[in-house]
Amino acid sequence: MKRTLEVMGMICPFPLVEAKEAIKDLNSGDELEVQFDCTQGTESIPRWAAEEGHEVTEYEQVGEAAWTITIKKK
Amino acid sequence: MGQMIITGLICGALLGFVMQRGRFCLTGGFRDMYLAKDNRMFYALLIAIAIQSVGVYTLISLKVFEFNAGSLPIVAVIVGSFIFGIGIIFAGGCATGTWYRAGEGLIGSWIALAGYMLVAAMVKSGVLLPLDKAIKETSIESNSIAETIGVNNWLIITIFVVVVAFIIYRELKKPRVKIPGLKPKKTGLAHILFEKRWHPFITATIIGVIATLAWPLSVATGRIGGLGITTPSANILQFLVTGQISFINWGVFLVLGIFFGSLFAAKLSGEFRFRIPDTKTAINSFCGGLLMGFGAGLAGGCSIGNGLVMTAMMTWQGWISLGFMILGTWTASYFVFVRPSKKAKQAARVITA
Repeated sequence: MKRTLEVMGMICPFPLVEAKEAIKDLNSGDELEVQFDCTQGTESIPRWAAEEGHEVTEYEQVGEAAWTITIKKK
Repeated sequence: MGQMIITGLICGALLGFVMQRGRFCLTGGFRDMYLAKDNRMFYALLIAIAIQSVGVYTLISLKVFEFNAGSLPIVAVIVGSFIFGIGIIFAGGCATGTWYRAGEGLIGSWIALAGYMLVAAMVKSGVLLPLDKAIKETSIESNSIAETIGVNNWLIITIFVVVVAFIIYRELKKPRVKIPGLKPKKTGLAHILFEKRWHPFITATIIGVIATLAWPLSVATGRIGGLGITTPSANILQFLVTGQISFINWGVFLVLGIFFGSLFAAKLSGEFRFRIPDTKTAINSFCGGLLMGFGAGLAGGCSIGNGLVMTAMMTWQGWISLGFMILGTWTASYFVFVRPSKKAKQAARVITA
């Protein structure tokens, strides 16, 4: 299962806060795609994923100040 | 005047560039000490303070300029810094953070900046000046830590540098998880400048050097000071509404430089876009800006003026301010992040029960 979390326009740290909440509802192996545009998130979201042991399956800049990251729950 | 414009803009632009690329955010740093038990950004700040402290006191020892710590308006520093700390959580960035995020195209930061400049000017020369003066009346004569204890400044600096060096050594020894990054699209210098993730300690080192450099550059134009954000931000508004050229100084060009440096960095790394906040964020940003302006005006400095510069000068004002700023961010973080999530959990439990 893959869930999409659209947090464009949300300032930091809210995209990260939302991502942490959203992943709780997922089962192990499910994926969460986060679409965000806060610059600090490019650092804080993958860092959180790595430290929690989740796998980042995709991470891309999709446009001017717009990113998408897919995190597979451990 | 020409020199003031050029050196101010260049110094500010360098700072804005480095802060944008290095994601140097003290608001996030103070907040994460509490929320994520992550002290990395705080340690980075200590590095910048240590470098600046050694650099500036070397210049002072070489008689490049003189520095007087002055007196300590203790109540104003405590109350102001605490309010400033609350403000930066709502504004989504501290004073410098707001300037450089404005350069990234965040309209919310423009709104915060407007509130910040307005209240800072009100405290410096407007209707809040009598209140500011009354609170500052309670003051302690000596602001210099070394003077109070009766030792040489260099002793304090040496002890501080040793402590910071030990912290960095311990931090760098920790095993690190590999953080997934974006696939590089650029190479060479362009990759390093406009794409690569910068280690916060590297960013902090460069900021420490820029902060040191700011002193002689500013002093050369007659402004005895280093990096400063609040007074210059207020000065812009004061100049705009009074037309008095006396409000223009090196600091004014410094803060404008931060905006342009960040704009340049964001533009070239594909991180610039006008981003419109929703109503709630816009209101929070404005209120945060108002609190920031009041707090920093009262405390005589923001996270840079007090937290980075006055700390490096080894003054009570700097360190007391830093402590209360952090307490302010923790207090606001509790109400903005911790309590809502606790409430949501309780609500979920009630539904399932």
